[in-house]
Amino acid sequence: MQTATAAEPLRTPALLAENISKAFVSGQQRTQVLDGLSLSLDAGELTLISGPSGCGKSTLLAILSGLQKVDSGRVHALGSELGQLDMRALERFRLQHTGFVFQGFNLFPALSAFEQVELPLNHMGLSRNEARARAQSSLEEVGLAHRMRLRPSELSGGEKQRVAIARALAKKPELLFADEPTSALDAANGQMIIDILHRIARTHGTTVLCVSHDPRLVVHADRVLAMEDGRILSDWRTHAPVIDSKELPL
Amino acid sequence: MVALARKTLIYEWRRFLPAMLAVGFAGLLQLLQLALVLGIFGSTSLYITGSSADVWVGYPGTQSVGSGRTIDADVESRVLMDPAVLRVEPYIWVDGDWRGPAETGGVSVFVSGIDPSPDALMFSKALPPSLRARLAEPDAVVVDRSVLNQLGVDIGQTATINGHQVRVVGISSGLRALGGVNVLCSLDTARELDEDPADIGPTYLVAKLRDPRQANAVAARLRGDTAFGPYTTWSAKDFARRSVLYWLFDTGAGAGVLFLAGIVFLVGAVITSQTLIAAVNGSVREYATLNALGVGVAALRRVVLEQAFWVGALGLLGAGLLGIVLMLLARSQDVPVVLTLPAVLVCIVLVMGLAAVSGLAAMRSLHRADPATLLR
Repeated sequence: MQTATAAEPLRTPALLAENISKAFVSGQQRTQVLDGLSLSLDAGELTLISGPSGCGKSTLLAILSGLQKVDSGRVHALGSELGQLDMRALERFRLQHTGFVFQGFNLFPALSAFEQVELPLNHMGLSRNEARARAQSSLEEVGLAHRMRLRPSELSGGEKQRVAIARALAKKPELLFADEPTSALDAANGQMIIDILHRIARTHGTTVLCVSHDPRLVVHADRVLAMEDGRILSDWRTHAPVIDSKELPL
Repeated sequence: MVALARKTLIYEWRRFLPAMLAVGFAGLLQLLQLALVLGIFGSTSLYITGSSADVWVGYPGTQSVGSGRTIDADVESRVLMDPAVLRVEPYIWVDGDWRGPAETGGVSVFVSGIDPSPDALMFSKALPPSLRARLAEPDAVVVDRSVLNQLGVDIGQTATINGHQVRVVGISSGLRALGGVNVLCSLDTARELDEDPADIGPTYLVAKLRDPRQANAVAARLRGDTAFGPYTTWSAKDFARRSVLYWLFDTGAGAGVLFLAGIVFLVGAVITSQTLIAAVNGSVREYATLNALGVGVAALRRVVLEQAFWVGALGLLGAGLLGIVLMLLARSQDVPVVLTLPAVLVCIVLVMGLAAVSGLAAMRSLHRADPATLLR
């Protein structure tokens, strides 16, 4: 449980879900996607949610990130209760605190890698120079310093996903959500992406929540939640973090 | 700020091209339609705009220049009594039946009897002094270049108007009429051609003022005196507008123009909005990602509206360039086209309005950019 980071964040989880339920209704059919699920995530960790398709893991991600509302239960993110926020306030919350990486890279075809990363920063009220400096350093961090003038059509799949990560990372989010970030990539690129996500959790103290059914990722996560039928079946930790730790847990 | 709207427009120009073409052609159609209307219906006030009179005196209730009735010739002295008036001259309008030397059948002509003296007011801007001087000969007439075939006549030849022989002494240009053919002659000749024994005075009296800016005041001052029989006065500007509006609206032509303008607007807006909607749908996942990252829907709407603006502006630019070429072509072929600054502004407003309406329609499809849909 304990990590090497400072003492205070230990007792206040970055993300806290209490007894949340969510159902979708289509026609006469009502499908219970999440059923009384509770969960607490700490800062500075890469948590992986795995499970078969349709188990509700993407819905859980959407709810924890404030993209969807719960039917019942509560979600606290960084001390705010997401259910209390209206659409504007949620947008503002996401703007200030969250980053997203999706399965599809969702990059604008017309923009260079650098502009893709700079664009959301423009809306955060940063100065032009600050936005550019952040875009530059994020792209350097994902190893794309030499490719940042290129458009998506000139980048490989792995590079595109790294641009998408840099776009999320440049916002300096406390929460980073990733939905199947490696499923469109080959093994080597998938490995690189998960390494980057892991490193972000460690070096920036970011809470990284990754949803994937890719078994290769399990060994890279700090914590693995296995889901099925809207519930968490198992919750276990992989080997204790050693890379950045000065103190070993317990 | 990353110029997402503009960069996308440039990079994906093929996607936006149909919208630009739709806007451009809608603009071009509106522009040419307006130019034609102004050209054609403007010719109904040519008698006024082509002359240098400031005040017109005619029969009360006259709706256009061509529908005047005779007034008492003595009104002239009443008008001259006003200290602001510099010069007054009569103008006689006669509807005639032209029989030319060639086989053309009867042609309906509008005979304008004017003062042939060099400093006369009528058609001073449309008729060169040398041609005007030739009108002083008895039975001499001047016709427009554009109607020579219609009249079956050429310079030096004779024809008859209302059974009275006339001779073509000159050919003018830019004197095309609507619904008939203009024939110019002297006041004396016109009196000869008028068959109606009831017509004893001139159809109009036109006056030049010492200060043209006082046209409205003088026209108002001269009005309402009944000592010389019924007459009324207009400033030249008012009477010209009256003539054009009569033709535009009382003939149904105006309604047709407005109807066509509406259709063009509608078709342009449908094509443009569909193209913009397709463009939004093509980028809906990227917009949704931006929204997930916290970029507000309002900011995304601005991107769509900005694209609509550029589509409108570029379409307008194309329409403008092509419009100039077509206008020059029309002028060279004697097609009556006239563009005024207000008409151009109307076109710009219409086109940008079209783009704005289309942008608003496209903005509505942004509701599909819900980031939650990216997580499925």
